[in-house]
Amino acid sequence: MKYKIALVGNPNSGKTTLFNCLTGSNLYVGNWPGVTVEKKEGNLRDTEKDITLVDLPGIYSLAPYSIDEIVSRNFLLEERPDLIINIIDASNIERNLYLSTQLMELDCPIIGALNMIDVVQKAGVEIDIQKMEKIFGYPFIEISAQKETGIDELIKLVEKTVGIKKIKEFPQIFPAEVMVLFDEFDQLVQNKYPEVLADYPHLFRVIKLIEKDEEVLLKIHDNTDLLEDIYAVRKKIEAVSNHDVDSAIADYRYRFITAGISQATRKTRENTIQFQEKLDKVLMNRYAALPIFFFFMFVIYYVSITLVGEITIGGIEWFINDVLMVTVATGLGSLGAADWIIALINDGIITGVGAVLTFVPQLVVLFIFISILEDSGYMARVAFIMDRIFRHFGLSGKSFIPMVVGLGCSVPGIMATRTLENERERKLTAVLTPFISCGAKMPIYVLMASVFFGEYQTLLVFSLYLVSLTVVFTSGFVLSKTWFKGADSGYLLEIPPLRLPKLKNTATQVWERIKEFIVRAGTIIFAASVVLWFLQSFTLGFQMVDSPEQSILAMFGKIIAPIFIPLGFGNWVASVALLTGVAAKEMIISTMSVLLSGQEGSFTVAISQIFTPVSAYSFVIFVLLASPCMAAIATMKKELGNWRDFIFALAYQLGLAYGIAFVIYQVGSRIFV
Amino acid sequence: MFTLKDLRPGQKACVGSIAVEGLMRRKLMDMGVTPGVEIQVNKTAPFGDPIEVRLRGYSLSLRKKDAENILMVQ
Repeated sequence: MKYKIALVGNPNSGKTTLFNCLTGSNLYVGNWPGVTVEKKEGNLRDTEKDITLVDLPGIYSLAPYSIDEIVSRNFLLEERPDLIINIIDASNIERNLYLSTQLMELDCPIIGALNMIDVVQKAGVEIDIQKMEKIFGYPFIEISAQKETGIDELIKLVEKTVGIKKIKEFPQIFPAEVMVLFDEFDQLVQNKYPEVLADYPHLFRVIKLIEKDEEVLLKIHDNTDLLEDIYAVRKKIEAVSNHDVDSAIADYRYRFITAGISQATRKTRENTIQFQEKLDKVLMNRYAALPIFFFFMFVIYYVSITLVGEITIGGIEWFINDVLMVTVATGLGSLGAADWIIALINDGIITGVGAVLTFVPQLVVLFIFISILEDSGYMARVAFIMDRIFRHFGLSGKSFIPMVVGLGCSVPGIMATRTLENERERKLTAVLTPFISCGAKMPIYVLMASVFFGEYQTLLVFSLYLVSLTVVFTSGFVLSKTWFKGADSGYLLEIPPLRLPKLKNTATQVWERIKEFIVRAGTIIFAASVVLWFLQSFTLGFQMVDSPEQSILAMFGKIIAPIFIPLGFGNWVASVALLTGVAAKEMIISTMSVLLSGQEGSFTVAISQIFTPVSAYSFVIFVLLASPCMAAIATMKKELGNWRDFIFALAYQLGLAYGIAFVIYQVGSRIFV
Repeated sequence: MFTLKDLRPGQKACVGSIAVEGLMRRKLMDMGVTPGVEIQVNKTAPFGDPIEVRLRGYSLSLRKKDAENILMVQ
């Protein structure tokens, strides 16, 4: 017998961490609402039964406001899981149980997992889980997904509960006089409209009809008779409750919860002000908040780019050039290998892959910082600080989160836009996120900065981030008034408590991201380096060339190079590099080092022959702003959903990159002759 | 008659009724802003908007534009 169980809970309640504990997998987790943007599946560990666990995106209610909520709700209604594990952040129990009262209407057995119980106990609160079970009608277990306590008990309880056919009656949340109205209306729907949402759980159907839930209304197809009946029952409920229907239903649920938890929880001592709260006061201080934020960003880039770069790059280059290549040359030479094989390995593979791997230490450090920002809960605070500014540019503070994620990689950044409820804002954020420079583009800046801007290199790289922010804001402003016109969706964001990032979580996250980078170096970049080397070593007649200038690649590069002449880098090396960069941004640097490896002198010398400082700056600006790599382009297409917006987005990104690089070069080259 | 927007950081009051319209109204209720609940204003963002409030044991941030449509009672 195969079972399917769903993991459901509020955003930021620890769902993904619990999913990892229950399945033994390593998904990454952040401390901001909305980390799980697509449902994920895994097998429950340590059980004889065949149980699939589905991790659904975090939701606050079963109302259909955002894609996340629709994904979760449709799964629960259409796939009908055999059991729901409802994860509840016990340190925020009241609000978390609101969703539980809605899950209780789905005719599906539930287990309540009271997470972060360690935090609750530290704050001096005791929860009586026997009483909780009595009040809410389903069993609860105290766990800490982070400390991995209570997990085995939870698995045992799941094993015991799953497959039991008879569902226990859940207690009534609504008072008797309202339940009478619900039952009456249910009878009426069954008799008069038997075809309406026939396979929905009864109580859920009744309440969603009465609430005039948008998704449900779509499904009843303007049934005017039914709408009139709904209107009548709404009037009755308003008369009974003295509130409008929406407030009444939400209010009854919360009343049930507050009454329940006041019986089941006990405060054993007064809470003292925690260190976190003091820290929060400083970080969010009215005057200091913004300077602190920019200070953090500057430190992150200074440490990862300049400090770590200075320590590691020289060593790695020495290893690659003076150790690895020399060993290959002498080793293979003494075995009698042909010169072209040695050239392929040294000038093709080692140069291409090495150029990318040189930057691994810097990226590791950068990813550690981003992961700490995510885990600590600082991200939601930055969204809070930034909302006022973002609002003027047609975005909300929430748009900031996908963008910070985009600092690591645009793909998860674009996917994180799903937590935005408003379609217009979501699409706009998805188009703007690639303007935020991803980790893979960083090596290009670092290289160009160190070759052309020497001691000012950190400043130069920092200026690129300022350019990217400026572009994001201006584009947001313009596009929200033109292409993505529409109403503003408002802003409502939970601010999670500050938490100390867990080493294990940070390590997992950094490893996941860096693994992807290394895997790409070993696959796409490895293969492309070989192909590139062949293309630049042979002529169309398959003759080995004396200089790359005569190669197939040079021919091709020279055809497209004129496009970039007005930008200052109309040479074939830069053109080919930009083209291969579409596959992966790291390729830009690999391509240039492979193509220039045949030239005399070091890579640095070779590169300073084809660029001037001004054209180098124009080049990095073009790389920064032009459309992202294939993976991110595909994700953008998926999130935008239609070709019209997608083609516009690509044209906009490319056009803007070209335009700005053009201005920089044309103006710059006249000032700095 | 005063609204949530009128509260200064540190002050608290109970929600009387919610005059916010549309989707935001439903979202506020899902987040626990229902008649009778006690809300304390924690702080204002550096640029004066949005505000952070505390209710039902957690922190929520919302814009002043919505806060001024949440009517409060002592």
